[in-house]
Amino acid sequence: MELAQSLTLSNLGIHLLVGLSRAMILFIVASGLSFVLGVLRVPNVAHGSLYMIGAFSAFSIFNLFGGSPLGFWLALCLAPFVVALVGLVAERSLFCHLYEREHLMLLLFTFALMLILGDLVKIFWGSDYRSIMAPEVLRGSIPVLGSSFPKYNLFLLIIGPLVAIGLYFFTNKTKIGKIARAAAVDREMVGAIGINVSWVFAFAFVLGCFLAGLGGAMVAPTISISLGMDHDIVIETFLIVTIGGLGNMWGALIGSLIFGITQSFGVLFWPQFAIVFPYIAVVIVLIWKPTGMLKSVW
Amino acid sequence: MKKTGSFMGFIFILTVCLLAASFAFLPAHAQARDIKVGILDAYTGPAAVFANDALKAFKLALEEINKEGVLGKKIEFVTRDTKFKVDIGLNMAKELVMREDVDLIVGTINSGVALAVSDAISKKEKVPFIVWISKSENITGKKGHRYVFSTADNTAMGGRSGAYALSRKPYKTYWIAGDDYSYGHDLANTAWEKLKAAKPDVEKIGESWWKPGEPDLIPYLTNIMTAKPDAVIFCTGGLSMANVLKAVKTTGMAEKFPIWVHTATDHAVLKPLGADAPEGVMGTMHYHFYYPEIPENKAFVDAFKAAYGEPPGFPAFNAYVTAKLIAEAYRKAGAVDKEKFVDALEGLKVDTPIGMLEMRACDHQMVYPIFLGVTKKLPQYDFAVSSDIVTLPGTEMLPTCEEIQKARSAQ
Amino acid sequence: MTGMRFKPIAATAGIFVLLLLLPLFIPRFYVYILAVIYVMSLLAMSLNSVAGHGGIFQFHHGVFYGVGAYTFALISSKTSLPSWIAFAAAPLAAALAGFLIGWFCVRLSRLYFGMLQISLGSLIWAIAFRWYSLTNGDDGIHGIPIPEFIASTKGAYYFVLLVLGACLLVMHRIYQSPFGATLQAIRDNPDRCEAVGVNVRRHQLIAIVIATFFAGIAGILFVVVEGSVFPDLLFWVLSLEVFIMCLLGGWFTFAGPIIGAAMMVSLRTFVGAYTEYWTLILGTILILLIFFLPEGVIGFFVKTAKPAGDGLSGEGTP
Repeated sequence: MELAQSLTLSNLGIHLLVGLSRAMILFIVASGLSFVLGVLRVPNVAHGSLYMIGAFSAFSIFNLFGGSPLGFWLALCLAPFVVALVGLVAERSLFCHLYEREHLMLLLFTFALMLILGDLVKIFWGSDYRSIMAPEVLRGSIPVLGSSFPKYNLFLLIIGPLVAIGLYFFTNKTKIGKIARAAAVDREMVGAIGINVSWVFAFAFVLGCFLAGLGGAMVAPTISISLGMDHDIVIETFLIVTIGGLGNMWGALIGSLIFGITQSFGVLFWPQFAIVFPYIAVVIVLIWKPTGMLKSVW
Repeated sequence: MKKTGSFMGFIFILTVCLLAASFAFLPAHAQARDIKVGILDAYTGPAAVFANDALKAFKLALEEINKEGVLGKKIEFVTRDTKFKVDIGLNMAKELVMREDVDLIVGTINSGVALAVSDAISKKEKVPFIVWISKSENITGKKGHRYVFSTADNTAMGGRSGAYALSRKPYKTYWIAGDDYSYGHDLANTAWEKLKAAKPDVEKIGESWWKPGEPDLIPYLTNIMTAKPDAVIFCTGGLSMANVLKAVKTTGMAEKFPIWVHTATDHAVLKPLGADAPEGVMGTMHYHFYYPEIPENKAFVDAFKAAYGEPPGFPAFNAYVTAKLIAEAYRKAGAVDKEKFVDALEGLKVDTPIGMLEMRACDHQMVYPIFLGVTKKLPQYDFAVSSDIVTLPGTEMLPTCEEIQKARSAQ
Repeated sequence: MTGMRFKPIAATAGIFVLLLLLPLFIPRFYVYILAVIYVMSLLAMSLNSVAGHGGIFQFHHGVFYGVGAYTFALISSKTSLPSWIAFAAAPLAAALAGFLIGWFCVRLSRLYFGMLQISLGSLIWAIAFRWYSLTNGDDGIHGIPIPEFIASTKGAYYFVLLVLGACLLVMHRIYQSPFGATLQAIRDNPDRCEAVGVNVRRHQLIAIVIATFFAGIAGILFVVVEGSVFPDLLFWVLSLEVFIMCLLGGWFTFAGPIIGAAMMVSLRTFVGAYTEYWTLILGTILILLIFFLPEGVIGFFVKTAKPAGDGLSGEGTP
């Protein structure tokens, strides 16, 4: 199918904006994965499950407050903490005993965690589709560049960079953040100067879970919350982290932008195969820079 | 730790072996043989809600049927979870047939599973298979055979009903979009083919296809809206239905463009959206718990509500019809014999909540009327419903027997 | 440097004969399940040959299995070429994919290798999933024509068993060969090998091509047993499941993956028949495994059979 409409500035502009807003969600989730990868050196395949728990928790909190706008904001704020708590429990009870083991074991542990969390979500929330609604102020669309742009996406465009900045400050300017980054580069040294590396890892993992939960809560109003959400997001965030540079937060941002924008433009240029565009972009980046666009942390 | 580690390891292996062995050797069948139905469905994954809906109604129907009994026996069932995956579906189907020794298989919502099981097990092992949610028209169409039946609506019906609805509207240019898998494509192809035949001056100005279950449909919808078609056709399956309607609402598309989506008026889709469902979207569906308001439907809905606390959806309806068919077919056949059962099912008419319906003999497809309506919010419900309903006769919404014959012989 | 030392040839042959005779005694369903186990065993063994034996982070091995299966399926069902071409082309296609992907990946080490492979493999999955006109996408291809004599349950069983046996023999040979020894050395200490003049990358690439060739064969066997292909065969979850089979059975042993495959398939089939939460059970077993039995089942027996001081075993956990 050839281009159905002209490449007007308006058209391109809208697609760019939509791609950017999609990239924001991807970034929030991918940054969590990247951080865990950087500090703990393990790709967490359960990251998607945590994202899913974030969405489901947002649903429960939203409903607890009767589906009101207050419920929505509370859901957005509290759901990440719920997920962080889940992560903390998993990490302190099981994960932390495995840190001396080889990476493969850790990866397989996260896979086991994914299996378990997936079924736990089913047991806890059942198999029905769930839905939450953004408050009135964020519904509908506004005219932008001659086309309509959903207000919620605008919201994402604002929140995304805020999260990125917050994350930057948290990891670069706070003591715990700096220690975590140091541990990513050289954990032995950090241990040698007397810091309990195990707690640093716990912190990193919990932060990763928090971000996954935040991503899940933020995406919840735009989709139907269902089992199976965990599988979809995992591969996307893995690819993003790979092309961004393992463990590099800015790399996660760049990767998310590439992914979100190529998919959005793919819809414009070749709607049938739009989903393949991000993968192709990934392959191109990796052929050119096999270790990712930015330097990995280690 | 080494010694305890080894010991723990040993205990672990022992436990796993015992676990596996105990499951393997658990008796697979109680004897004094009742009629055994094997239900194959996706109780895990995004389609689970439909599978559970169907199971509930099937149980309800069996309670009624077993009071009277069939040929002096009860109908019992076992379930197997396919997890929406074809390889597990095949494994489980073979387990049902070879180990559980079921008299027939019912179920599936994943058309890939349905087609695989239909070919590898139903046809090969000569076991009757009644598909109750999977919607590929190929199941009773070109891939149909003696042993497979369908009590589900399919893409042929959906496409034709959409074409019927749209051919009566003045729209000329269309955009077609949907889930990039067989369901979406078949629906689109049938709808467009029939629409074009009825109204030759319609024009397709674009197509968009996304991954089934794709959460982020805003870019696609934005693209469509900028193209400004007269009307839009969405061909989405269960996984994306709610996402599409949500996106339609968020982008405000429904207010600016006429839209038709097969199953948009389905309760399972509209319920979770609640007050946030878009209004004015044309939809087609073969079952609503609130229409037609005849005593049979009301009785079914009341019984279902009493048992499960909520009204039945279309999977429940399909499963209920399936249970009725099974009971009636065995009674007609006079024996628990697979071949006689198949013969009895062909052309069988049963009483359903929406009236007397027929299992068409030539292709083994249940003939359902299609209810064409528009989404609307009514004060008495906190979800949207289908309104201004027009009933499209079932036989006109299906391929003719000749067309089916032709498609099958071309295989 | 093999794992077969305490399994003399006689015992292996004996087991083989037993397996050949089994279909005469056991119900049909178990014949089918055993055939499925053999297919998975071959796949797990092929993964173990690079990952366990060679220490390569082959995170998306399933892709090559899927490529083999799809190649066989497409040639058999969409062309009228004689079936032997399908049998020959599938492993070659898989090995070619292995070579191409491997060539990109061996430039990197460890985790990068794994991540890159997941990326490239996912691209293949995405293409198969979306190229609807070729692969039927999500629906899969069913009713694939299989030669008469191996289409029945028993026929498929014997064919798969014989092919598995042949492949195992070849793999064993490879492990015993200088090449196999070099590969192990590379796994244990790549830097030293480089220093001694071994072309690490070339060896790894060859190992990958061999492993993916066998994975392609496993793909054919899958189609012979089930008669269908679908995109799940190319999905990353399957690849991780194959890893689990190796882990369950024991990484560094020869027969470990076979036991792991048997355990996985049995659990999935028999426990899955009774509860829809068997993934929860599998996840729990996996965690217990990681904590208490990281060497896997066979590895555990190997370890307990051999006292720790036996430095010549070349076996056991690193």
